[in-house]
Amino acid sequence: MNPNNYLILAAILFTIGVYGVLVRRNAIIVFMSVELMLNAANLAFVAAARNTGTLDGLVIAFFVMVVAAAEVVVGLAIIVTIFRTRRSASIDEASLMKY
Amino acid sequence: MKVSVEYQALAPIIILLASGVLSVLVEAFIPRTLRRPIQLMLVLASIVLAFAYVVINATAELAGDPLVNGGQVKGLRELAASGSIAIDGPGMVIQGIILLISFVAALLLAERQIDPQGDAFASRSSTLPGSEDERQFTAQGWLQTEIWPLYLFCVGGLLLFPVSNDFLTMFVALEVFSLPLYLIASMARRRRLLSQEAALKYFILGAFSSAFFLFGAALIYAATSSVNFSTVAVAMENSSQDGLIIPGIGMIAVGLLFKVGAVPFHQWVPDVYQGSPTPLTAFMSAATKVAAFGALLRVFYVAFGGMRWDWRPMMWVVAVLSMVIGSLLAVTQTDMKRMLAFSSVAHTGFILLGVISTSAAGLSSTLFYLLAYGFTSVGVFAIVGLVRDASGEATHLSQWAGLGKKSPWIATIFALFLLALAGIPLTSGFTGKFAVFTAAIDGGATPLVIVAVVASAVAAFFYARVIVLMFFTEPPVDGPSVVVPSALTTVAIGTSAAFTVLLGIAPQPVLDLVINAGLFIR
Amino acid sequence: MIAALIGLPLLGATVLLLGGRRTNAWGHFLAVAMSAASFLLGAFLFLQMAGKSEEEREVGQHLFDWISVGAFQVPFGLHLDQLSIVFVLLITGVGTLIHIYSIGYMEHDPNRRRFFAYLNLFVAAMLLLVLADNYFLLYVGWEGVGLASYLLISFYQQKPTAAAAGKKAFIVNRVGDVGLSLAIMLMFVTFGTVTFEGVNAAAESGSSSAITWIGLALLLAACGKSAQFPLQSWLLDAMEGPTPVSALIHAATMVTAGVYLIVRAHAIFDLSETARTAVVIVGAITLLLGAFIGTAKDDIKKGLAGSTMSQIGYMILAAGLGPVGYVFAIFHLLTHGMFKAGLFLGAGSVMHGMHDDVNMRHYGALRTMMKITYATFGLGFLAIIGVPPFAGFWSKDEIIYVAFSQSMVIGLATLIGAGVTAFYMTRMMAMTFFGEARWEDDVHPHESPAIMTIPMIVLAFGSVFGGMAMLFVGDIEHWLEPVTGFAKPEHSVSHSVLIPITLAVVVGGALFAWLRYGRRPVPVTAPTDVRFLTRAARADAYGDALNEAVFMRPGQYLTRSLIWFDSKAVDGLVSGLAAATGGLSARARRLQNGYVRSYALTMLGGAVLIALVLLLVRL
Repeated sequence: MNPNNYLILAAILFTIGVYGVLVRRNAIIVFMSVELMLNAANLAFVAAARNTGTLDGLVIAFFVMVVAAAEVVVGLAIIVTIFRTRRSASIDEASLMKY
Repeated sequence: MKVSVEYQALAPIIILLASGVLSVLVEAFIPRTLRRPIQLMLVLASIVLAFAYVVINATAELAGDPLVNGGQVKGLRELAASGSIAIDGPGMVIQGIILLISFVAALLLAERQIDPQGDAFASRSSTLPGSEDERQFTAQGWLQTEIWPLYLFCVGGLLLFPVSNDFLTMFVALEVFSLPLYLIASMARRRRLLSQEAALKYFILGAFSSAFFLFGAALIYAATSSVNFSTVAVAMENSSQDGLIIPGIGMIAVGLLFKVGAVPFHQWVPDVYQGSPTPLTAFMSAATKVAAFGALLRVFYVAFGGMRWDWRPMMWVVAVLSMVIGSLLAVTQTDMKRMLAFSSVAHTGFILLGVISTSAAGLSSTLFYLLAYGFTSVGVFAIVGLVRDASGEATHLSQWAGLGKKSPWIATIFALFLLALAGIPLTSGFTGKFAVFTAAIDGGATPLVIVAVVASAVAAFFYARVIVLMFFTEPPVDGPSVVVPSALTTVAIGTSAAFTVLLGIAPQPVLDLVINAGLFIR
Repeated sequence: MIAALIGLPLLGATVLLLGGRRTNAWGHFLAVAMSAASFLLGAFLFLQMAGKSEEEREVGQHLFDWISVGAFQVPFGLHLDQLSIVFVLLITGVGTLIHIYSIGYMEHDPNRRRFFAYLNLFVAAMLLLVLADNYFLLYVGWEGVGLASYLLISFYQQKPTAAAAGKKAFIVNRVGDVGLSLAIMLMFVTFGTVTFEGVNAAAESGSSSAITWIGLALLLAACGKSAQFPLQSWLLDAMEGPTPVSALIHAATMVTAGVYLIVRAHAIFDLSETARTAVVIVGAITLLLGAFIGTAKDDIKKGLAGSTMSQIGYMILAAGLGPVGYVFAIFHLLTHGMFKAGLFLGAGSVMHGMHDDVNMRHYGALRTMMKITYATFGLGFLAIIGVPPFAGFWSKDEIIYVAFSQSMVIGLATLIGAGVTAFYMTRMMAMTFFGEARWEDDVHPHESPAIMTIPMIVLAFGSVFGGMAMLFVGDIEHWLEPVTGFAKPEHSVSHSVLIPITLAVVVGGALFAWLRYGRRPVPVTAPTDVRFLTRAARADAYGDALNEAVFMRPGQYLTRSLIWFDSKAVDGLVSGLAAATGGLSARARRLQNGYVRSYALTMLGGAVLIALVLLLVRL
């Protein structure tokens, strides 16, 4: 199979992630969509590593996983605090500051 | 392959990150009453030490004594950590600026005389706003010290960000300084709801933008089979894979332009600046912007330097939008912090002029502008934090009426900062704007400079409006007052004011410094 | 040496502002001493310069490199030539006299120290303005005098009208400042330098449209600072400040900075017919408008303010005539500086004796009570209406002469202006010093103390002999020629015809006023059943209304923002020129709707935009 197809798949996954961020209201799901975008990037890195025959992409994928894990910790912490304060995980309700 | 680590060159970053780890341990093992003084000393000492190392490295560099790969030709800049980090002239200047600002901002974060209840941060961030728990902790005078390890990691990340020489290091650095910022943003003592909202917005949009950055890096990697800036630059010259490279450049630009707060990636700026604890806003508006511009400069000068004819028009669009929309929207703001946030967006546009010129003059003028703007910005937000009434900070513009009569000194210094932001001669803002505009004209961006001048004129009006409000209006009867801060804030404001004036009257030594810093290593 | 001229008053201001109450007791003496020292130094430099040959007179002092980026250099340099030195003498000389006068005038004011500090600050800034050797440094001085002027206009902060007047001056001047900064930017873009020397040398090489735009931007700047049409409205309100301030800043020195700017930039105006014509038109309109306003004012200071506008109109007009006029613009500026300062100090002295009442309808018959004031004011009066051999005659006559040489219409405008000037000044004389006493009951007019009358006497000497001294002893035409250039007008009505005509017009105006105000009793309250013209003049010729309707939309927003400044509500409204963009801004901020998802959508839109631009470039 043409390895470029993996890059295309990664782009599709990334787009799905963007779409999720834009349309979903639940903070957790928005957050998962962001994670999907990161993992789409990971897929692209791995596919590119295979394509180009270098190892950098594989190493990067591991780094990104670690960073994503850290991001999950921080993100969930923030979402949970907000949930406890507002009793809601809707990101549209957090819109006191505008204009 | 022999792996070597150039400890001296990397010392500033290592010191900050190690202190961060140490600081976590302090948090875990030292009794509560001792934590605050120890943490504070740790923070200040590590920043001073790191700064000392930056100075030592820079002096060695100027003396032509290469730090790392001994015996290289004089003037050749240094690559460290197997080429992942570039400690070159501009990099060290930016590190120096970040450390100076971090020191001043740390003083602001540590201030606890302004708010009668304690410092600017929630007594315990885990308690619900308005709950019985929170009241008790506040009544007992709890002060949380968790912000300090976060702060140290954040500064460490900021130091790494502008000297990263490949996309992976840059991405990691980006997250290392962003994650602590998201957390500290949610911890304001007053108006927690706004504070948490700011953190949520900052986090979601920040993660969104860094995903763009990462995907862009993946595309560049797919096209050039490397993430190292110098290799990427060489590979791009001969590459035919435009279908990957052009979207890659665009997506990386999205990630970096988000961090500098350029239009149309600016919408987080006002909300986050308004909701965050004011000392943190002071820090973010200055240090984060400096580091992000450092990274932006490096990526677009080194990695994409050969493609500048491709990305320049894109930057033109962004710069024009930033200047126009930033100035335009600041006009109708009624909240001081939001107004300053939009002004910061407009300043991003001005600084982008320096980036666009892609010349030695463009680089040095951008560095100068960053130093000038950083200090003015810290100072301006420091003063915003001082004007308070019973419910906390009084940030509505109407509450600032007649401040010049009640507190002439503070109002005068505030006016000085505003004049500097407006770019009035004899302040640092003028010199900075001037240098950047000159570089842009030399770089063939005269139309942009004309837009910039018009935007500055619009901007001058809303700064002047605040000055008029402070000095020529009667104060409201039950208006807020200026709190007398402790020595910490006084020193911070004094330093910022001194820089603002000095860089306006006698900028030449600093201009010489940034010019001598030379170019990025390729 | 040159730097010390500025340094001395600046030091005085610094000591007084930082020294606080400790300096209350002796602060005003320090201020006077600093100003006087600066004057003596200036006089010394003048004598030194006069002793040199013509080529060596121009001296510069390079202090340090202010900005030096790449090819661009802005030196922090000062520059003393024949033009600056006469300004130095005027500023420090008249300034010192007014400092001395203020010791008496402000004696009972609790904020006297602050007043003197601002006065010293003003002198320093004004000296910087005229001594700068490049447009940037001039801009610094320009802003400095503006600052001192706002601080002094709103000096009586407790009076809301004074505070409002300060604001108005502040805002109107911003419009002018935009002109100056635009001009500097344009100069840099066109010539690559902003030093006087560099611009003068490179002016020939600029494109004619660039030169014209620079000239027009400079004119806008001059209009703001010198209260020329259409930015004239602030000057009348500025009379809220203490009278010595009106004398120094709003009559003798600061408001003439616009004239200085145009003469200094003569290399630009020499090359652009369009810009010169615009200058002449502005000058002509203002000289008539100011005189017209002066005819109906009952407030003695506002009457003098209208007259100041009008006289500066003469100078601007002369400057706009090109090489034939520059010298006379400066000549009139100098004589005007002396007699107008004298008149203002006289007005202050009258107010001092009349419990700060400024309404001339409450005066009358003061010539017997205030002999010295009457005499000095009277000499100033003779000078301003242009009776030979008093100072104003020489300078104004030359301007009228040159104006006729250029165009009959312009010449007639200056001639009519001279007649109206005679009318309103005679009216002022008659209402104040002649007729029967119309004082309020508890007012007991008395002569001012010697510390106030001596400066008035000195200035009266200037009003009498200043013109002759400069013309015949100083030979001002040739003194200034190396700086400004000078040309004899080609064909004009000859002096021997023009002088009698002018004098006839002047005497006619004065007689008419005497018949209306000197011979007939003046009602204590202003009559209301007056003709439209009088009403218009009382309302500053509807200057504000005109601004609103004619001076484009920014002007309209400006007025609205003034109202807004006065109201407590700060919400929603916007100020100044930025207000023109206010509606747009209010709409655009709706995009910032608070929803994080919508922000993300904007970012996505931005990403698409960036991609599009990148791809377009590739095509």
